[in-house]
Amino acid sequence: MARCAIYGIGNILMGDDGVGPAVVRYLEDHVRLPDDVVLEDLGTPSLDLPSYLAGHDAVIFVDAVASDAAPGSIRLYTREEIAATPTGIRISPHEPTINDALILLDFAGTGPRDVVLVGVVPETMDGGMALSAPVAAAVGRAAGMVMEMLADQAA
Amino acid sequence: MSKRVTIDPITRIEGHLRIDVEVDQGQVQKAWASSTMWRGIERILLGRDPREAWLFTQRFCGVCTTVHALASVRAVEDALDLEIPINAQYIRNLIQIAHALHDHVVHFYQLSALDWVDVTQVLKADPVKASAIAESLSDWPENSAKQMAAVKARVAGLVGSGQLGPFAHGYWGHPAMKLPPEINLLAVSHYLQALEYQRYSNQVVAMLGGKTPHIQNLAVGGVANAINLESEAALNVDRLYQMKSLLDKIVSFVQNVYVPDVCAIAGLYPEWFSYGAGVTNYLSVPDLPLDGKSTSFELPGGFISNGDLSSLKPITGQKDATWRKAVSEDSAHAWYKGSGGLHPWKGETEPDPTEWDEDKKYSWVKAPRWEGKPAQVGPLANVLVGYASGNPLMVKWTDAALDKISAIAHVKATPAMLHSTLGRHGARAIRAAVLSDLAIKQWQLLTDNIVKGDTTIFNKPEFPKGTVEGVGFHEAPRGTLSHWVVVEDGIIKNYQAVVPTTWNASPRDSDGTPGPYEASLLRNPIADAEHPLEVLRTIHSFDPCMACAVHMFDPKGNNVARVKVL
Repeated sequence: MARCAIYGIGNILMGDDGVGPAVVRYLEDHVRLPDDVVLEDLGTPSLDLPSYLAGHDAVIFVDAVASDAAPGSIRLYTREEIAATPTGIRISPHEPTINDALILLDFAGTGPRDVVLVGVVPETMDGGMALSAPVAAAVGRAAGMVMEMLADQAA
Repeated sequence: MSKRVTIDPITRIEGHLRIDVEVDQGQVQKAWASSTMWRGIERILLGRDPREAWLFTQRFCGVCTTVHALASVRAVEDALDLEIPINAQYIRNLIQIAHALHDHVVHFYQLSALDWVDVTQVLKADPVKASAIAESLSDWPENSAKQMAAVKARVAGLVGSGQLGPFAHGYWGHPAMKLPPEINLLAVSHYLQALEYQRYSNQVVAMLGGKTPHIQNLAVGGVANAINLESEAALNVDRLYQMKSLLDKIVSFVQNVYVPDVCAIAGLYPEWFSYGAGVTNYLSVPDLPLDGKSTSFELPGGFISNGDLSSLKPITGQKDATWRKAVSEDSAHAWYKGSGGLHPWKGETEPDPTEWDEDKKYSWVKAPRWEGKPAQVGPLANVLVGYASGNPLMVKWTDAALDKISAIAHVKATPAMLHSTLGRHGARAIRAAVLSDLAIKQWQLLTDNIVKGDTTIFNKPEFPKGTVEGVGFHEAPRGTLSHWVVVEDGIIKNYQAVVPTTWNASPRDSDGTPGPYEASLLRNPIADAEHPLEVLRTIHSFDPCMACAVHMFDPKGNNVARVKVL
């Protein structure tokens, strides 16, 4: 089982929501990763997310984040910050969040030990396949932060 | 005095399901289902190459990726009257079965089971008794008293920590929760095991599709899986047998854990066979094609009117004349321009949002209709159509499940009882059992055909000058899915996806006739309006998959459903 997974989350059809998958594509094109690192664009897996997390020691997410900061800003979220997001009743399989998946796997005893989220602030989430200029400009920087996180895992 | 209860996701971004019910004398008297997000995502496809449409459509929905890919290539192949190689059908069939088995198991254990299972009661369970009950239900090897005790200890640890983890928001101790402690323990134990078996299904999809969740191996005209028994890099005997061993594990879990669990829980809540019928017109399309032209299928399709199985009108394939004419979408109560029912090839997606107004427009979901009538889609429709058609596997597994439920409930369970909230759960398990048998059959067909020396996987599509129309359908985990495409000079001119949840979550139409969710909630009991567990039971039984379009990590967590009582 792979040691570390890098997962882009988001919908490439919905503007800047596709930034997570865009960072995954950037890494595929520019970086040669060790064989035991999984790199995948997971789209919007919601209820299916636990399937992709179980068994990994460390997971790095890249996702759009809701924030008042300027579009294209990048911020790291620790596992504690992810764990602080509220959970609640879920009506459809699209609602469970990253936090729901981690809580479930912790209960099962198969959750990743280290989790970090590289968040990029979107400008627009309207339908369309293009990233806005500030978010497109952030893709390379976000990819660089993912590589730093990966180096921390190896250290 | 009647009360209005609204269950509404707070978020402004994600498009989800909002349910409004009017409760009086402990029962739902009126209900409205609406989606809070515009789903005009098909517009991204206009002007594109039809050979690439599937790559985009599988992004419509993060949970149902493969199904939109499959419906899309079928629609374009239909427009071109393009036959595909039989290997391609078998490979597509195996992908759709593996995906469906994953989906049904996830839906039951992760989304729905906790509507019926009270996790806090696990602490009162006797692991030895739980093990004995489990062993009376099936010969699954992972039901020992020791394993049950370990799960009980895990739950005790969670409760002791003061955090209920994945169970923090269940309606624990709700008066509608009635299972014995041992059944609750059994269910939580299998809830944990299900996580492992879901991964096996994903591995099958990845072996054939190249990747998961977004498969890479489809093509208009077939698949892109190289088949070469001499090559390590291609689909060869080793890989086929690796896949078979995964399929065997999944089949065993479905037949020895999922089906018995659903039957046991259903048998202990027999009153829920009398709630939640709603719309009893059922639509299901034939699927798992057995020839390159898609004229014969493993599972039949058809339309059933008013719950009368003898009324079945078969749908013979995508070329079926009635099928091609019968579907329309009405936007009288949906936030789109126009109101009358338009055929999907003529479909329009021009938004026209107003305030939420139950008498006028109140949803982003259009109202699909079959010859003007609402229809329920999903595993229940699939099973009833299969049963009415006399499909041997559907009959075998339906009768087996009804017998099992009868033995536990001490009442005779009949197919008529399936028109209900629990019937939808039962049918999903029955369908999973049928598909699990067919997984092995399709694997054998593929293997035999390859070993015979047929390695063909692709027929090249040719696009004519002028306009062609096509429809691709698929009996997806949540029911009948259809993609309707109009191609002009090799370019997409119109594209409409009529998704299963649109049928079920449909708002009222021009005649004021409610959709399946809305009708199914009528006369549901409500013990406590502040905690409308019963509404969730009925809505979850449909396996709702709303607008699926966007996900964003929100540190403030603004995507939690809230219950508002007025």
